[in-house]
Amino acid sequence: MAAMEGIQDQSQQQQQQAAPPKPAAERLNPAVQQQLNLESVKTRAISLYKAISRILEDIDAVARANAVPKWQDILGQFSMVNLELFNIMEDIKKVSKAFVVHPKNVNVENSTILPVMLSSKLLPEMETDDNFKKEQLLHGMQNLPISVQIEKLKTRIDMIGAACESAEKVLAETRKAYCFGTRQGPTMVPIDKVQAAKIQEQENLLRAAVNFGEGLRMPLDQRKITSTLPMHLVDVLTVGDGVQTFSDASGMYMKNTPPQSSINATQGLLQASGAQLIGRSAASPSGPTGATSFDNTTTSPLPYANSPRSGTNMMNTPSPQQQTQHQQQQQQQQQQQQQQRQKLMQHMSPHQQQLLAQQLRQSSMPGLGQNQLPQLHDLQGQAQQKFQPLPGQQQMQFSQTMGHQQFQSRQLPSGHVQHGMGQSQLSQGNQLNRHLSQFSGGANNALFNAAQGTPSTQMISNMSATMPSQSLLPRMQLGLAGNPQRSHLLSDQMFNMGAANPGGMMPMQQQQQQHGSQGAFGNMQPNAQNLQPGMVALQNATQNHPNFSQQRQQNQQ
Amino acid sequence: MECVVQGIIETQHVEALEILLQGLCGVHRERLRIHELCLKSGPNLGLVASEVRLLCDLEQPEPTWIVRHIGGAMRGSGAEQISVLVRTMVESKVSKNVLRLFHALGYRLDHELLRVGFAFHFQRGASITVTVSSVNKMLKLHATDEAVPVTPGIQMVEVTAPASSENYSEVAAAVSSFCEYLAPLLHLSKPGTSTGVVPTAAAAAASLMSDAGVTT
Repeated sequence: MAAMEGIQDQSQQQQQQAAPPKPAAERLNPAVQQQLNLESVKTRAISLYKAISRILEDIDAVARANAVPKWQDILGQFSMVNLELFNIMEDIKKVSKAFVVHPKNVNVENSTILPVMLSSKLLPEMETDDNFKKEQLLHGMQNLPISVQIEKLKTRIDMIGAACESAEKVLAETRKAYCFGTRQGPTMVPIDKVQAAKIQEQENLLRAAVNFGEGLRMPLDQRKITSTLPMHLVDVLTVGDGVQTFSDASGMYMKNTPPQSSINATQGLLQASGAQLIGRSAASPSGPTGATSFDNTTTSPLPYANSPRSGTNMMNTPSPQQQTQHQQQQQQQQQQQQQQRQKLMQHMSPHQQQLLAQQLRQSSMPGLGQNQLPQLHDLQGQAQQKFQPLPGQQQMQFSQTMGHQQFQSRQLPSGHVQHGMGQSQLSQGNQLNRHLSQFSGGANNALFNAAQGTPSTQMISNMSATMPSQSLLPRMQLGLAGNPQRSHLLSDQMFNMGAANPGGMMPMQQQQQQHGSQGAFGNMQPNAQNLQPGMVALQNATQNHPNFSQQRQQNQQ
Repeated sequence: MECVVQGIIETQHVEALEILLQGLCGVHRERLRIHELCLKSGPNLGLVASEVRLLCDLEQPEPTWIVRHIGGAMRGSGAEQISVLVRTMVESKVSKNVLRLFHALGYRLDHELLRVGFAFHFQRGASITVTVSSVNKMLKLHATDEAVPVTPGIQMVEVTAPASSENYSEVAAAVSSFCEYLAPLLHLSKPGTSTGVVPTAAAAAASLMSDAGVTT
């Protein structure tokens, strides 16, 4: 910095010197002026001086603020200043001989440094260094004449030059030999274009496979489970699962339960719930033998907070799973029936629908496994116990309930009363009856056929949708799934009516002319009559039961 | 959230890459054998099918399962400037019943693949995982023992690091700076962008593999 300032002073002094002493018109020697434009040098020197002072101020401010200086900026500015100074010096050096430094003002500051700056003698260190090198170079030659010295030095330089060149050659050759490549980097072996294209193609395949799964999807027909699953999947997938899980949902249903497929095609989850409901409602006939409250109207069979008797109408039903797994069968049945009623009043909650769908899927698996709802088995067992006796007994049982119902209230539709429901449920029953009027004829017909005196196992197997081979009733149930909300009531009706009067279904059918979910009949029994809504195919249907007919007429309002 | 980049490397250079990674990461490699099942939801779960990946780690003595959902990638001008892909990702360990559960929910198998290779987990500005694996497909359903590579000559390299919405830029910077170390052997890019092979790969691999001729 001192040197720079000194030089600046020099240049400024030069300029000042040149102008003031001869203010008249004297200019610099034209030759010198050609070589150096003094004015420009002056402006450049001044601007450089300003830049340096600005940078110094900035650094000073940063130092005062104890902030971290932006070194990149400072270095940039330094390099700019450096370059400018270098350029100025270059210009001045060319013509430095024409100028003389004349210190204008010698004061305290200058007095010490000026002699050093003005001296032409080298600094002491530089001088000793210079002498030393001279000594080395001219060792043994100092006594010779100068020209000889010069020649010797020249030859020396040439020799050194030649040695350098040969060394370069050797280095290049060894590099090639060892394939080190040039100093710029490893040798680039150009990749064959064909090969590059192949690699590109492979790369696209791989990336697509990893990111999007392209090229990995197997068509459904090719998806066959290997005979031996790998270890980690053996206990995760059973064979039955495997077959199902890799086909479409509709396909899955198709395989196991054809009726379900048709239903699914139409109505999805509701059907599952309907089947489930039917399954549950089928428990009602079995009630009498097991339930204690069937015959008893006064008992409050449902100790749950959300039972209709408790006065809170249609509260959230506990999940079917929770109930069925933890309760006794009787409570299960009652609870289920309660739930069904409540479900009718509310619309099916999605949760329940999903649960029922899940149960339906589970139940539709060919290997109805141990993990199926125990309730189905229980109900089934119960029903079997009950219905293995003669149908007459059935009728007896039903007539018990029917009589009971009728005793309670004529207003109550027959199909509505489940065992032991109290009078507080009558209003609900009325509402449900109105719902009944909307039931599909098909569903009715299915249940009617079931109640018609076909093997009792049909009714039993109402509960289980998983026994397609054992009885046709589950299919019929599934067929009823078209109207899940009403199907259980229908089934109740059917059971009740069937028990009392297998032939007395005519009124119901008439009632249900309005609705048709005929899609549900894909699974009807061979001997079942695919009764369309309002069909009168039941020739043997007679209105034997006056009570029924009365109630039916009421429903037809 | 995660930051992820992918690249490819020729199978012949995988060993050299392993040496390089070993040197860079300072940890030992872990063997990788993952059966990845990609499930797609059925129509019962909505109009837009969702995708879920189940990863079964077959290298453990007892196979462990992980469920992973990969969401959309970050978009926008800021995302374009980042050299890694930042996307939402949710992952969790699950029991082996996960497959049954998803089947019951209505998910169906879309495709499956088997990754065989190795992985490095280390910390370098972020928790980074580098996996080098050959992606295999199964000709028969679930036949992991009979898997064949999708591309025999090329393996997939993936560098991932978990991130959150607050620190994803630092994580992205850490991942991209790490990837620069791998430049002699392979180029890494956002998934979906193809890179090709690096011309210096052969030379770099040779130098990594050679025992002699190693000077300063």
